[in-house]
Amino acid sequence: MVGDTRFVSLPSADARLYLGAVRAAQIVGGILLPVLRSIATVAVQLLAVSIVAFVVLRLLPADPLAMMLPPNATIEDAERMRHAFGLDRPILEQFWIWLVQAVQGDFGKSIQSSVPVSKLILTALPTTIELAVFGLLLGIAAGFVLGIVTFHYRGTALERVCETAASLSQSIPEFLWGILFILVFGLGLHLLPFIGPIDARVIVPSHTGFLFIDTAWNGQWDAFGNHLLHLVMPAFALAMLKAALIMRLLRSSLIETYREDYVNAARLRGVGERRILFHHALRNAVLPTVTLIGVQAAHTFGGTLLIEAIYSLPGLGNLMIGAIRTQDLPLIQGILLTYCGMVLLLNRSVDLTYRWLNPRLRAA
Amino acid sequence: MIRKLPKPLDEPRVLIGASALLAIVVVAILAPVLAPHDPNHQDLLQILVPPFWQEGAEAGFPLGTDGLGRCVLSRLIYGARVAVIVGSVVPIGTVLLGTTIAIVAGYFGGKIDWAVSRTVDVWMSFPPVVLSLVLMVGLSPGLRNVILATVLVDWTRFCRVTRGAILGVMKLDYVASARIAGASHVQVMLRDLLPAVFPIIITLFSVEIGIAVVVESVLSFVGVSVSPAIPTWGSMIADGLVTVFQEPWGLAFPVSMIIVTVLGANMLGDGLRVRLDSHHATRLGADL
Repeated sequence: MVGDTRFVSLPSADARLYLGAVRAAQIVGGILLPVLRSIATVAVQLLAVSIVAFVVLRLLPADPLAMMLPPNATIEDAERMRHAFGLDRPILEQFWIWLVQAVQGDFGKSIQSSVPVSKLILTALPTTIELAVFGLLLGIAAGFVLGIVTFHYRGTALERVCETAASLSQSIPEFLWGILFILVFGLGLHLLPFIGPIDARVIVPSHTGFLFIDTAWNGQWDAFGNHLLHLVMPAFALAMLKAALIMRLLRSSLIETYREDYVNAARLRGVGERRILFHHALRNAVLPTVTLIGVQAAHTFGGTLLIEAIYSLPGLGNLMIGAIRTQDLPLIQGILLTYCGMVLLLNRSVDLTYRWLNPRLRAA
Repeated sequence: MIRKLPKPLDEPRVLIGASALLAIVVVAILAPVLAPHDPNHQDLLQILVPPFWQEGAEAGFPLGTDGLGRCVLSRLIYGARVAVIVGSVVPIGTVLLGTTIAIVAGYFGGKIDWAVSRTVDVWMSFPPVVLSLVLMVGLSPGLRNVILATVLVDWTRFCRVTRGAILGVMKLDYVASARIAGASHVQVMLRDLLPAVFPIIITLFSVEIGIAVVVESVLSFVGVSVSPAIPTWGSMIADGLVTVFQEPWGLAFPVSMIIVTVLGANMLGDGLRVRLDSHHATRLGADL
């Protein structure tokens, strides 16, 4: 009897509590823990990266102060300045001071302009993010379309043409694509603008620093289109490699997936070819591509540096080149860490996305 | 092992790639004979002369002149010298550093392997272009430092790939047999592990030729590579970009030279991979 009552009451409160606890445990184990672990990993990696950055920049024989001192400065002047910037303290102490400030978001002041490094970086970052995101999206879109098309037309001349184009597009580095586009589409055909992020005569009141968002916010749709046109070539230059890699990987994983039994089983059940491709095969074939996109997202971020230099976009890359030419150590350090932080964050978020997309990993 | 290789020259990609690279090496060596002018001589009365097939060309400057009246052809030819030196020394350095670390890590495993892998991870979270620029800031310009910086950035790629391959080879019986037969650690690494990953090393080596040339041009483009008195393709790109509206060809020529080099190196690498991998596979198949 007692057992019976327990059985009857099970689907009610107790059970819900029990199932709720299980579900909560699943959420904690499947989503929260990996997220926390990822944050911890990124923190440790960033620490390691900042140590490397600090050592590389401080142990090597560059003298950042030599450039800012007037030619008639005495040795005492130089020492005073060294002291003012804390460059005369032991290296470990310098690192500790820098680290404590960096954790609070303070990367010091630019030696050249005396503006806080974090402010300079925050002003430049939106341009770089826009460029990287636009380039990556173009690459992903082109890669997916081409991957599916070449898979569909496998064994035909079209596949071979795409394959040759992909290996060419993959071989030539991004910054050379950037220059080739300027020569062909900018100067040869006069199709697209290629200097700056937007025509110099256009004035956009800034809210976020992201020109796409700001122009839309102000309702300046002409300026929005103008900015888009300015970004087409740089974004394509960044997208060339990604598109080729994604196309190749997606096609080969589709070919692999089509060898699995469930594709034939679906066909036997009378499922249409289009549905098999988009609802069954693509869902599994896309997994390796997601990993690749993650690696490429991080790569895109590093690639923006030269593209910005070529197309005169006022992003992190041009800020970095300016800092390197003037040996502005605090600024170089801050930008270097920003780049690495973005790369690490992107890698981690891809890991998490992959986990979420692939239920087989979620259980583990 | 080398004797048993099928002739890699049968592969057209190897032939084309190797010829392109060889041609650049010959041009670099014969630069003083081939170049019509001193690459740094400025003829300020003849600035931005277009190449020979265009109107206004000068007989003395087949590919025209740049914004300072320097002969583009001569600068291209002399620029090949830096490219050849960087493209040959950097891959050797990268192979030596990357492969050695990878073999040691893969062979000993455990804590050494863990430490190496984490170092590679941290190193690889720097975008390569950014890291090489920063290294050049610290090292000060000059050919030797360009080579050093490029090796320090690129060894990780070699290390990661080779270590993976070594881990695969370590599972094979012949490595254990060699140890049981009394071979020392160094002997196993040199006689058993190194030959097994040799095809991968050769392939990566060829690809690295192209990468090294590109990295040097990037550094030159930004202005932190060799001294400005030495012509390089990268500095020609930087100069050409300034005068691109008046004379776009000054930009097109150095870009084409870098593309030829990179495509040559990649074709060589691709061709060798196909040749050496199939051989490697059959040999492993025969052993198993």
